[in-house]
Amino acid sequence: MSKDYGLDLHCRLILEEYREMVPVLERLKEVVLDIIRKDIADKGLMVTATEGRVKTEGSLAGKLELKGSKYATSEDITDLVGVRVVTFYSDDVDKIAAMAANLFDVDRDNSVDKRKMHQLDSFGYNSLHYICRLPASRYSDPDCPQLNEIRFEIQIRTALQHVWATLNHDSGYKSGVEIPKDYLRAINRLAGLLELADEQICRLRTDITDYRRRIQALVADGKLEEVALDSETFKSYLAMRPFDALNYRIAAINQAEIQDVSLQKYLPLLRSLGMNTLGDVDKMVTSCQEDAYRLATFQLGATDLDIITSTVAPQNLCIVYILRTGGGRPGLQKMFDLVNGESPANEILAEMLYKQAEELKII
Amino acid sequence: MEIIIKSEQDNITALFSGRLDTPASLQAAKDIQPLLDQADKTIILDFSGLEYISSSGLRVLLTLRKEAARKGGKVIIRAIREEIRQVFLMTGFYNLFDIQG
Repeated sequence: MSKDYGLDLHCRLILEEYREMVPVLERLKEVVLDIIRKDIADKGLMVTATEGRVKTEGSLAGKLELKGSKYATSEDITDLVGVRVVTFYSDDVDKIAAMAANLFDVDRDNSVDKRKMHQLDSFGYNSLHYICRLPASRYSDPDCPQLNEIRFEIQIRTALQHVWATLNHDSGYKSGVEIPKDYLRAINRLAGLLELADEQICRLRTDITDYRRRIQALVADGKLEEVALDSETFKSYLAMRPFDALNYRIAAINQAEIQDVSLQKYLPLLRSLGMNTLGDVDKMVTSCQEDAYRLATFQLGATDLDIITSTVAPQNLCIVYILRTGGGRPGLQKMFDLVNGESPANEILAEMLYKQAEELKII
Repeated sequence: MEIIIKSEQDNITALFSGRLDTPASLQAAKDIQPLLDQADKTIILDFSGLEYISSSGLRVLLTLRKEAARKGGKVIIRAIREEIRQVFLMTGFYNLFDIQG
């Protein structure tokens, strides 16, 4: 028994059409979501959510009660299926929109970019709504041609726009109940704040990307002394494989294989050794590599160990650098504390290495 | 060479004893299967009885470390003898593990 919403005959007929359409609407929603999710993944875009819903019967009845005369049939209602993509960044809204326009047939006359609808003195709901159809070239089922006929809505917004929309909805702002001016002002201020935050987040991403590009260019051009040593720049430097040459020489001592592992944990050590630029690190590589190789030969030459990790080169370079700059046993112990964590055994290792270095006349 | 494995609630301990040389490493690669299966946990390798380790033995440990990294677990080495510690140092393996005492 269908629920009676107290609608007139025209609206009841539309509601009846809707009830028969629900299985197709559900299927359309799933097909559209699958297509969008796959394309987002293929393009490597990061979004916070991709979700969909079929309008509930209660929600449709409410809509028909308010403006049922506007619709001749259920086909005139364009949001029976709704899909929403929530992005991190505001410029990704346009990327997703372009992607959606490529995937689906967009009904431009009925699509709205609410981001462009504001008056100069107002803020508020920002979101992009596309009314679309699923083109048969994208997906079709001869047993269900309605999949390519029913229009659906795609909403694209940022996470902050989503917060705004949720708050706005929950506040009952559009319920018809008059809201005191103070509250309206607070709502508008909040909307402005979120819009500004969205802009700043986007600008920050662009600035960081520009910075990375500049650093990569300086590293690629060999202008290492101009590049401050930090986690980002050290990563770019490591991409140039500065320790490979020494590691290959050391591996050749016993025809060893080299296991490539992350060298990022050497960054705190390099900084503690007073290295402020990539140029400082590069100078250490150049000036200490012969003694670092001699140390490795001394250690590995008498063994048949035929596996090393890629940390051997930076480890031996740092050992030589510390001893040459007067760090002595405490400097070596601090090195192990920083790279491997504090342990009483680090003092023993430092002592052992110091004796080896004395024997090799590195000190 | 013997590996005795003891499972507890949040971690799993393996007691190594003897020489982890090339022939023993073949067996060790099979013996550590329970550790690989539970590599999402904290794995404690007690080396107090381990007298020697070869490159093959290091490769067995590397397999364990990779599996733990893949599954979000952790490998801790305890009670390592001085000679083994030196092997870890000169091969760069000292940087790969959390070595406690």
